[in-house]
Amino acid sequence: MTARLSSSLLAAAIGLLAGAAAIAIGGGDPITAYTALAEGAMGSAYGWSEVAVKACPLVISGLAVALAFRAGLWNIGAEGQLVAGALVAVCFATNCPQLPTALGVSLTLLAAVCGGALVAAIAALLKLRRGVDEVIGTIMLNFIVLGIVGYLVHGPMMEASGNYPQSEALPGFTRLPRLFQGMRIHAGSFAVVALVPLCAWGLYRSRFGYVVRAVGANPVATELAGFSVGRYLLATFTASGALAGLAGGMEVASVTYRMYENFSPGYGYTAIAVALLGRLDPWGVLLAGLLFGILEAGSMSMQRVAGVSAVIVSLIQGCVIFALAAIEYSRAESSS
Amino acid sequence: MTVPPLLSLRDISVRFGSVTALDRVDLTVDAGEVRAVLGENGAGKSTLMNVVYGLLSPDQGSMQWNGAATSLRGPQEAHALGIGMVHQEFALVDALSVAENLAEAVDERGWLVDYDGVFEQAEARAAELGLALAPAEARVGDLPVGARQRIEILKAMLTEVRLLILDEPTAVLTPAETEQLFAVLRGLRDRGVAILLITHKLREVIELADTVTVLRRGRVVAQRSARDSSERDLAELMVGSLSPDQARAEPAPAGPVPVLRARRLACAAESGAPALDDASAEVGAGEILGIAGVDGNGQQPLFEIVSGLRAPTSGSLEIDGTTCSVFSPGAMLDAGVSIIAPDRRRQGAVLEMRVWENAILDTALLRAHSSAASLDRDGATAFASDLIDRYSIVCDGPDATAASLSGGNLQKLIVARALATAPRLLVAFNPTRGLDIGAARAVHTALRAVAEQGGGVLLLSTDLDEVLGLSHRVAVLSRGRLSAPVAPPYDRRQIGLLMGGGDRPEAA
Repeated sequence: MTARLSSSLLAAAIGLLAGAAAIAIGGGDPITAYTALAEGAMGSAYGWSEVAVKACPLVISGLAVALAFRAGLWNIGAEGQLVAGALVAVCFATNCPQLPTALGVSLTLLAAVCGGALVAAIAALLKLRRGVDEVIGTIMLNFIVLGIVGYLVHGPMMEASGNYPQSEALPGFTRLPRLFQGMRIHAGSFAVVALVPLCAWGLYRSRFGYVVRAVGANPVATELAGFSVGRYLLATFTASGALAGLAGGMEVASVTYRMYENFSPGYGYTAIAVALLGRLDPWGVLLAGLLFGILEAGSMSMQRVAGVSAVIVSLIQGCVIFALAAIEYSRAESSS
Repeated sequence: MTVPPLLSLRDISVRFGSVTALDRVDLTVDAGEVRAVLGENGAGKSTLMNVVYGLLSPDQGSMQWNGAATSLRGPQEAHALGIGMVHQEFALVDALSVAENLAEAVDERGWLVDYDGVFEQAEARAAELGLALAPAEARVGDLPVGARQRIEILKAMLTEVRLLILDEPTAVLTPAETEQLFAVLRGLRDRGVAILLITHKLREVIELADTVTVLRRGRVVAQRSARDSSERDLAELMVGSLSPDQARAEPAPAGPVPVLRARRLACAAESGAPALDDASAEVGAGEILGIAGVDGNGQQPLFEIVSGLRAPTSGSLEIDGTTCSVFSPGAMLDAGVSIIAPDRRRQGAVLEMRVWENAILDTALLRAHSSAASLDRDGATAFASDLIDRYSIVCDGPDATAASLSGGNLQKLIVARALATAPRLLVAFNPTRGLDIGAARAVHTALRAVAEQGGGVLLLSTDLDEVLGLSHRVAVLSRGRLSAPVAPPYDRRQIGLLMGGGDRPEAA
């Protein structure tokens, strides 16, 4: 456990160093840039609110990816599942009769969960029934979902005013309430706080999680022990998609309020990095999601104050994952 | 001036957590010497070999090669010195072909691998050594275990080897193949190659080895000439004391309904696995039915059908009088069948998980150790501790990972789990392969216990001594056909003749 934590921390440090080097090569001052980033994200209540807003979709979809990876399912489709969740949520919310807010929000999020689960279930069935590798299946489904969104927001779903290729805005009773005046932090943060321990319990303390871990580590032995590996894979894949869908639904019900192309800035892909950096552990995912949330939230302030492009943050995130892979590889080499 | 030994280990200690695997062990091997290393499971044989092969660095002690101090930091360095190893659990890549697996052993520099060239070289070497080699394109995962081992042996012998380590090399070989292997090893010895041989077959030690080192609980208890030792001496040194093997139990009175009734089971050949052809058998309550046969004669499909891994193409199977309609491991377990699979690390346990988690890796045991959706960790841990005590499983407690257990202790855990559900039928396939006398005896005791408690045991084993020593009746599998069972006293010649048809190189 401590070894895993230390390699994640080391990877994060290497990523930040690589980012600093890139800033310096680009003629900027890394210290000024990182100070601006840190102050932007963590120097004010507003900054922290932005961190929470950015971290919410990353942590939830990170949990989705971690769950699937634990079962040995390489779900690369969190992005498509997240967008599908948001899409179904918008379809529901913009066509729903007036409801009390609590009910409206709950049903909207439930719709998102169903949307994400449906897309993941397609990939799962393709794998289990037709032997389609889930990596291929989920990547292809990502494109299909994005294609459907493109068609819908330019056509049937386009807002009545017809100005932009985007959906109508969600009615107020389907929106997640914001917690403070003038800040974007929303009630979804509570869901994240609840989901992390729930997933940890599910993975380590529940019967289902036990079988999922066994399936992920050795499906042959688990099948021989009488467990229907296929059913567990289907259930886990679907649950993973449901979580990713929830992340999308929450994003649309609290931040964007509308569906449009490029709705997600690649949350579902960043989620893979978050899951890996978090060592596929729910608490680790929370920490990794917060770190990435801080980077995202502080990046604009870095650009504004230090004149360093916000894109540097993506570079840092990429280097973190490279460093993590390298550290793990050398650890495995030296211990074997 | 005397010639220094080829390899000399002094004062080697290795600790895993609180377990001392090797305690100040000395070992020397001269060029042209066959040295056997004997010991029970967990005695430290494999650990010692891993030190020699550079897979493990000792916590203490020194190593000399040709009189010069060395320390190995990996198998590559061992290869460079001329140390080769044939692992007990194969180090082959299942998904790759025979030629590709062989190419891995050749130190190719450059971008291209000449698979054909490597295979030709291997074929020549195989002919020289008298080993039957599978076709170049065959996928290793599809080959029977015996053929895979021959590739493994050949792989180690492709490069120039001065010291060859063999870990239980004869465990899956037929007697004829064992003889061939021994001829090969004698030839190598005569050329000056040193051989370190781990085996639990005492007769083979005396037959092949020049010297023998006996390990017990990580310590060297004897170093002596093998030829001056008797099997009995060695067995006593190894286990401390030797009680006579339990006399074979008389068959319990058969119940009205046999526990297992297989009628005319058949299934087609499938990617390397041979067919099963019209196999019928019955196992009575309280009976151990042994299935003898040379590896690759239909054991695999029979095991897969009875454990629910695949459905027969024709024929029927009844467990306790109920005809099986669904063939899945879960359905078989529900019907009262417990399994001891042949490959304990791949099929019997989840190595990454802990001992207590492996102890409940069974649908019924998991149900018993969970309430509603929640896993009863304390209950499962207590259950595992109980199994550890009752079966004398040497490990670092229920929280140790399964990967940290030696082969014999892992098998004891798997057997303990299989018996914990009080099975109506226990299916055991090569349950003591590669185990030493102590662990094998524990497994045999467990199989007898199932029969004594009124369950049936279907014992599939390529170890004829094991089958004849345990079974109330014996049937022979040869080319997918199952003979009528014979009762004791067993006529080895008759059974040998029945097995005879299978004593040929496996067809891929």
